[in-house]
Formats: sequence, structure tokens, C-alpha cells
Amino acid sequence: MIKVHYFGIIAEAAACEQESISSSKIGLQSLIGDLKEKHQLDSYEFQIAVNRKIIPDPSAIQLENGDEVAFLPAFSGG
Amino acid sequence: MDYSRQLILPQLGSSGQQKLLDSRVLVVGAGGLGCAVLPYLAAAGIGTIGLIDGDLIAASNLHRQLLYTERQIGLSKALEAEKYLKAHFPETDVQVFDQFLNQANAQLILQQFDLVIDATDEISARYLLNDTCELLGIPWVYGSIHQFQGQVSVFNYQGGPNYRDLFPTPDPAAVSCSDAGVIGTTVGLIGMLQVNEVLKIQAGFGKVLSGKILIYDLLACSQQIFDFEKKPKKRDLSERKSFPLLSFQEAVRSERMIMDVREIGEVPQISMDNYLQVPLSRLSEMAKSLDREKEISIFCQSGKRSQQAADLLHSMGFAQIQLIKGGANEFLAYLNYEKDIS
Repeated sequence: MIKVHYFGIIAEAAACEQESISSSKIGLQSLIGDLKEKHQLDSYEFQIAVNRKIIPDPSAIQLENGDEVAFLPAFSGG
Repeated sequence: MDYSRQLILPQLGSSGQQKLLDSRVLVVGAGGLGCAVLPYLAAAGIGTIGLIDGDLIAASNLHRQLLYTERQIGLSKALEAEKYLKAHFPETDVQVFDQFLNQANAQLILQQFDLVIDATDEISARYLLNDTCELLGIPWVYGSIHQFQGQVSVFNYQGGPNYRDLFPTPDPAAVSCSDAGVIGTTVGLIGMLQVNEVLKIQAGFGKVLSGKILIYDLLACSQQIFDFEKKPKKRDLSERKSFPLLSFQEAVRSERMIMDVREIGEVPQISMDNYLQVPLSRLSEMAKSLDREKEISIFCQSGKRSQQAADLLHSMGFAQIQLIKGGANEFLAYLNYEKDIS
């Protein structure tokens, strides 16, 4: 099980703050692709964190059971 | 001002207090975050407070911008905030810039201060702050909000990462408070976290939020901290590290580790002594358990991934890396040929 957290405007677009993905082994890049398509996130800019570490290049990351992925956009209000 | 209660704190003491009194801090924006941070900066004893904002007070600001009253609607935020600070904290030196921060004035204004607090409400202003602070070599304390969530971080602190390392590309979909909605407690809380970072940096206590972004969610009462790193400057390809090239024969006879960085299941499969398959997609993780002094010869299907793997291992501190000329098909043909003639 992989837990995915959404923040800020991404949580609004996805209409949820978190969800669980049942596959236990998946490449980070393909998970991002699947979720972008599912929630129509193509027009948003965000960073991806795995286990609370921001990942500059998701293509080399293989997720494991229990990993937590976060979609982090920049906030702009103040 | 009587600071006796905070002077008792062993982390601060009189030497820390003196550092605060000697500090020059610029607040960019006198809206929601600005109104939260200004009185706390002054009350803690920051000696010089700069304030820049060209905006006017509006009725819709008053529920969260607590320095202003109905009678001040239509007046300059910067000048009215200055009056508030002078009335409540007469010992603080307040320097006001009744204008918006822009490309033309940013460097001139920021260079007068030791540290900057971001209390703006748009992304483009944050890129301007970031680039100017990087140019001047001063840290800045980022704060921003989205509805009931807030982000806080410290950028450009002692050579640490900056806003562009965290968010390299501006988000065209980002929305301001006037579009997304906001309540006073969110800006109040995030503003307090920002001031707290300023006090830690200036007086020199605690752990500074550098290389970390804190996200607070007021609906869930939860906070998470995410780590991030400074992005390496784009490498010039001509400066790319070149690794020694080995023939199949040299690689096999040297008894070095032969590392196959193709993914599991790729054909042809190779079987030989000293062989280890470490798919490129898992290399950074699997290489942690390897001896950095080990001699490693790398191959893949065509040579492209071998170069990437060598670059990655080199960046992780592996010193003895060589590339094997040719791909897996040729390697297998060579091994079969060797078997046939022996």
C-alpha cells in the first residue's frame, strides 16, 4: 500500500487530501503519470516528496510498500 | 522596553537580546502576514524594522490585518503600520517604503537589511525576493498560505538552498487570498512561525528551517516537514567526468566487479563470475551498501545507461569506476567465444 497526500490547490483539484494506492511496487514516475491523468493535474506545477524528502528526479525512484508520496505546490497567499 | 522575562530564557540571554537589538529586518508586505509579524518583531526587540508595501487599506482586509481600523480605509498600509509601530514600540527604528517592491528598487532596498521576511501574496514577488537575496547573500524567511494551510521555510541561509531549488518553475495556477479565501488565524499562525525563525537566526539559537519546508494544516492541526536540497548547477557537458574504457577481455580478466545496470528481465541475460545486476532505477539505493573503494566495471545494453550509472556512482563518492566498451549482446558473444576456445 502506498499513501498519497495532496496539498493546497492540488488537494482541491483532486477533491481529496489523501488516498491509498494498492500496488505495492511501482515506479514513482508512472504513479505520478497515473495520478496526473486521474485528477487532471497537467496544468499545475508541483514538487513530489517521498517519505518527506523532495525528489528532484522521480524517474529513478522505485516505490515500496508503505512509502508515502506527497504532491506539493507552492502556496501564494499571504 | 523591559525584556526581563525573555532574558531569563537561557537560549536568548543578554547576548542574544543584544543581537536582536542590532538586527535590521525588512518586512515585504503589510497585509495579513505583515500585520502578524510586525508587532512581534518589534516587541521581541528587533532594533531596525523596514517595511515596504504600496497597497492601500481596504474594508475586506480588516478581519485579518489587525493593525488597521475602519477609519484608515483608503490610507497607505505602510504609513499606517508605521504609525502603529511608533505608538507601541517607540524605541524601534522603523524605516518605511511606501511603494511596491519591483525589479528597479529591490536591490537598493534589500541591501540595507540583514534579513528579509516574505509577507507578500504573489508568486512573482517571491522569485524577485529570492533572486535579489541570493545576489546580496542575505537569508529570507518564506511564508505563504492556501486557505487553512501554510508553508514556512528559510532560504539562502548560510549557503543553503533557495526558493528556486524548491520550486524551479512558477505555477500559473497559483491563487491569492482574495481568490482562494483566508481567515485571520491562518496568517496569524504562519506569521508567528516566520518571526520565530527570524529570532532564531538573528540571536543564534535553535534549529533553523533551512533545507526544509514546514506545512501546517489548521484543519487537521497537523504539521509535516519536508527536506529538500540545493540543486546542482547545470553541468557543462564538456566538464563531464570521463571514465576509463575497458574491453570485454580486460574487464573479465581484471576480476573487478562487473555491474550490469540494465533492468531485471532485459535480454540477453548474462551469467559469469564477479557479476552483479543493479538496475539503474535502483542504483542510488542499492549502491549505499557497496564499498566505495571497490573497483567496478559497468555495462548496459548500449552504453548510455552505463554513463549515467557511472556519473551517479561518481557523485556518491565511488572512486574506482570504469566503463566497458560495447553492449550486452556483444558481451554475450564475447563470453560464448571465450567458452568455445577454452
